Amino acid sequence: MKRPRLFSLVLATAGLLLALLILLPIIALLLASSPGALLQLMLRSEVQQALWITLLTSLLALPPIFLLGLPAAYGLSRLNGRPRRILETLLELPMVMPPVVAGLALLLAFGRRGLIGGLLADIGLRIPFTLLAVVIAILFVVTPYFVRRCTMLFSGVDRRLEDAALLLGASPFQAFMRISLPLVRRGLAAEAIMALAQGIGLFGTIILFAGNLPGRTQTLSLAIYTAFESDPQQAFGLGALLLLISLLLLTAVKWVAPQESPQ
Amino acid sequence: MSGLDCRIQYQLAHYELAVDLTVKPGVTVLLGPNGSGKSSLLRLIAGLAKPRAGRIKLGDRLLFDAHKKIDLPPEQRHIGMVFQDLALFPHLSVRQNIAFGLSLRRIAKNAIKLRVDTLLDKLGITQLAERSVTTLSGGERQKVALARTLITDPQLLLLDEPTAALDPSARGAIRRWLHAILAELQIPTLLVTHDAEEVAWFRKRVAVIEKGQIVQRGSYHQLLREPLSDFVARFAGINLINGEVREQGNEKSFHSSGGSRLHGIFAGVLPGPATLAVAPWEVALFAVPPGGSPQNVIPGRVIERIVLGDRVRVTLLSAEKLVAEISLNAWQQMGEFGEGTELYAVFKTREARVMNT
Repeated sequence: MKRPRLFSLVLATAGLLLALLILLPIIALLLASSPGALLQLMLRSEVQQALWITLLTSLLALPPIFLLGLPAAYGLSRLNGRPRRILETLLELPMVMPPVVAGLALLLAFGRRGLIGGLLADIGLRIPFTLLAVVIAILFVVTPYFVRRCTMLFSGVDRRLEDAALLLGASPFQAFMRISLPLVRRGLAAEAIMALAQGIGLFGTIILFAGNLPGRTQTLSLAIYTAFESDPQQAFGLGALLLLISLLLLTAVKWVAPQESPQ
Repeated sequence: MSGLDCRIQYQLAHYELAVDLTVKPGVTVLLGPNGSGKSSLLRLIAGLAKPRAGRIKLGDRLLFDAHKKIDLPPEQRHIGMVFQDLALFPHLSVRQNIAFGLSLRRIAKNAIKLRVDTLLDKLGITQLAERSVTTLSGGERQKVALARTLITDPQLLLLDEPTAALDPSARGAIRRWLHAILAELQIPTLLVTHDAEEVAWFRKRVAVIEKGQIVQRGSYHQLLREPLSDFVARFAGINLINGEVREQGNEKSFHSSGGSRLHGIFAGVLPGPATLAVAPWEVALFAVPPGGSPQNVIPGRVIERIVLGDRVRVTLLSAEKLVAEISLNAWQQMGEFGEGTELYAVFKTREARVMNT
């Protein structure tokens, strides 16, 4: 038998340790509750409410994420050089911002005494501590990631296909709708699910900007945080529930994502 | 139908593209080495890139004018372009690819179908209609790409290396097909290539581009008779024999590195290192050395023989390597000789041009 090289052993060991690091907590969490306990949990109205708010806000955030993100991503993929780097840095700003800080920043922008809070109050709009605040928080945090990944999707489309469409008489918009968009549709579906998953797990930004109001702004993540202080067992159960939802979404992503680049 | 009239300048990475070119109905071949600016020129004409200065006119329509600040977008230029890699839409079928241009306009579905069917039939590719373009062979893809462009009735056709992506076995057939189609259409067509054989098919109007400049234009034969640059000569498969010019009294003669003494036209040539150029079709082959008028005779052995349609290319090796191109008839009359045969290559003094190197 051929002796494995030392370097291969190092790689395998690192991989094994990483797998343990990932799997151990997941298994621990799943072991901490049982299917019966989960079912019990699902029957409680405050849990149902939190689940509903979690799914509702993530779904509500999806259309504006697409509406803002898709044109931005496409435009960015068609830029080169300095303008592109500047805009990409702008996108990375929310990504490196700690979520809690993002929540504070949103509060200072849209809050009652925030930058445009007065303006919003004048037209009768109070955003903080509402369902809308949850949606905005998701929008703020998730859209940059969405844009970045979609930019890569569009960059993968051969520019010559669009050039060919233009020369056949298509306007740039028609070329986008009929060539680029259909070519990345599987990738976009995967990105939509990724955005859902990211929104569902959001915590720090929401708790500062939207508060932790059961039945109004309390998502599953926030419910876990609340439960952990009074009833850890329930927190474990909710954690397992959230984990299962995430696993479900991950499976969906793998299902729709293109196996290869969209060429 | 009148043609393209274009005079543009554009800064490329290593040099300036400065081209003055007209394309009349029929095929004009733009020939140039890789990196000479051929593809950039096509993109500029198509409107996919913007010239720094100049003017592009197609028929009586002004497509681009730097002074008048006119710059029509590609979709309004009515120019058809077949890209080197064809750029077929991978998510559409052959029929959908071809119908694409029409489907953007307000044309009834029935009318579109009829026009696509007519064109498919005319190009002889009806059997491909419902196939996915990702399953086609190279030649089939080429045909679909041309069909997709032709259906929009372009006023100018740009073909970027139309057979470069094909495997050599398919190339001949596609060239013949393309030649027949284009001859019938009489659309002003600019065909870009770096391939000698392609030019042989479209030999009437050829322009040569090097480093962003048109360096020579004329018919294929003019080009071959008087190559103005090394590239053209080498491209044409012209025999270039290295040697030197010696002067004895008033008489000049050419002495090859292989030791042959040859006669040629020495207009303006100085004694010293030189090249003698003779076109393959000016070289005749004989089994016994002929007498008569002043000519060059070089004996040699056939090391390669290629039949190209109605022509036969024969490579003869002696002290020099010489390529002769004779007609199929002549070859058959000589008993269809093969490799290894000893022959005499003969060419006239006035067909041999001597150039200083």
